[in-house]
Amino acid sequence: MSAHHHSDNIQALYEGDQSKLYSGVLSHHTDIKSDESKAQVKRIMKITLWLTIITILEVAVGLYAHHSGAISKVFLAFYFLGLTVVKAALIVRVFMHLGDEKKNFVMAVVIPLSLFVWFIIAFLADGSFWLKMNNTQAFTKEVEQVQHK
Amino acid sequence: MTQATTATADIKKWDGGQSPFNLSYGKMMMWFFLLSDALTFGALLISYGTKRFFSDVWPDSNHVFKAFPGFSHDANMPLMFVSLMTFILIVSSVTMVLAVHAGHYNDKKGVIKWLLWTIIGGIAFLSCQCWEWVHLHGEGAWWGSFVDPKTTSLEELKHFYNPAVFANMTIEQGVNATTSFFNFFFTITGFHGMHVLSGVVLNVVILVNTVNGTYQRRGHYEMIEKVGLYWHFVDLVWVFVFTCFYLL
Repeated sequence: MSAHHHSDNIQALYEGDQSKLYSGVLSHHTDIKSDESKAQVKRIMKITLWLTIITILEVAVGLYAHHSGAISKVFLAFYFLGLTVVKAALIVRVFMHLGDEKKNFVMAVVIPLSLFVWFIIAFLADGSFWLKMNNTQAFTKEVEQVQHK
Repeated sequence: MTQATTATADIKKWDGGQSPFNLSYGKMMMWFFLLSDALTFGALLISYGTKRFFSDVWPDSNHVFKAFPGFSHDANMPLMFVSLMTFILIVSSVTMVLAVHAGHYNDKKGVIKWLLWTIIGGIAFLSCQCWEWVHLHGEGAWWGSFVDPKTTSLEELKHFYNPAVFANMTIEQGVNATTSFFNFFFTITGFHGMHVLSGVVLNVVILVNTVNGTYQRRGHYEMIEKVGLYWHFVDLVWVFVFTCFYLL
């Protein structure tokens, strides 16, 4: 027992069965062989199948794009990152049970991550822009002309 | 319910003595830690992406990652090994969910079984990653490799590049891109690998606790859930690393 805890009551707050707060999927059940349990396992397997399918789609397009070499880099970026975000959403929502938490908390997690998407697009766009700027003399002249106006 | 009652109810929710999100302290803190770790990995991956989009030339992942353990060095199996690694990690995530599920139903035997599978999956993934590192190192890749244009020849870089790109490449471009690529690769996969390793260690610890009956005595298996969150996060990061390094 930790020296910090003065009484068992406080100990209960830290290690007690706070999961009794939950309802639905996260609450305590008793029979693992029950239909409810089987339904939950079925849902887990269904999501696993989706994850596998999406991964296969990604790898297939990745291999094809490499062999044909004719698909635009921007399209590929959106395609792969888009599918990856879908996979991430499935894992977070079902496997990590975020979909079963209170809406306030879901927002506390999801909103910073959504801002992150903006972050990603901004940096990749900047990277391309710097490259174009470095490589094109015509572009530099363009910029100079605009500045002189 | 009147406005006044709802407002009082809200204040009561945030007054202390209970969790406003109906979450235990440990679980909430794990989520917030995962958010911070997500931003760290994100920063690493975004800097990789920026550097890459900023480069004239870049190694082609289909050419860098085409080996498979057990096959000859010349076997051309692009992306197959890493797809296997991804599959292993996703499966270990599924077994972890099943362990958490068993925990909700107080099924000690089920928890032990699924935790064991998760640990095996984690060790398998780490072994695969080790093989990949050793293989790439054997080809000369490492932190700070291929860094000097005066001592590196274009021939050494040839098998990392798409032939169409390689034809027009200068040695300065090649050396810059190859060094950056491998620096980022080893750093990011290494950082991720450390997370997998710590995840496996945590899994072993809670497995031992489960076998000893600690959670049975405590009355709930919430610790399995919390470590499960960490494990899923590790899987999630891999999904993004896989996309950025191997697909894009």
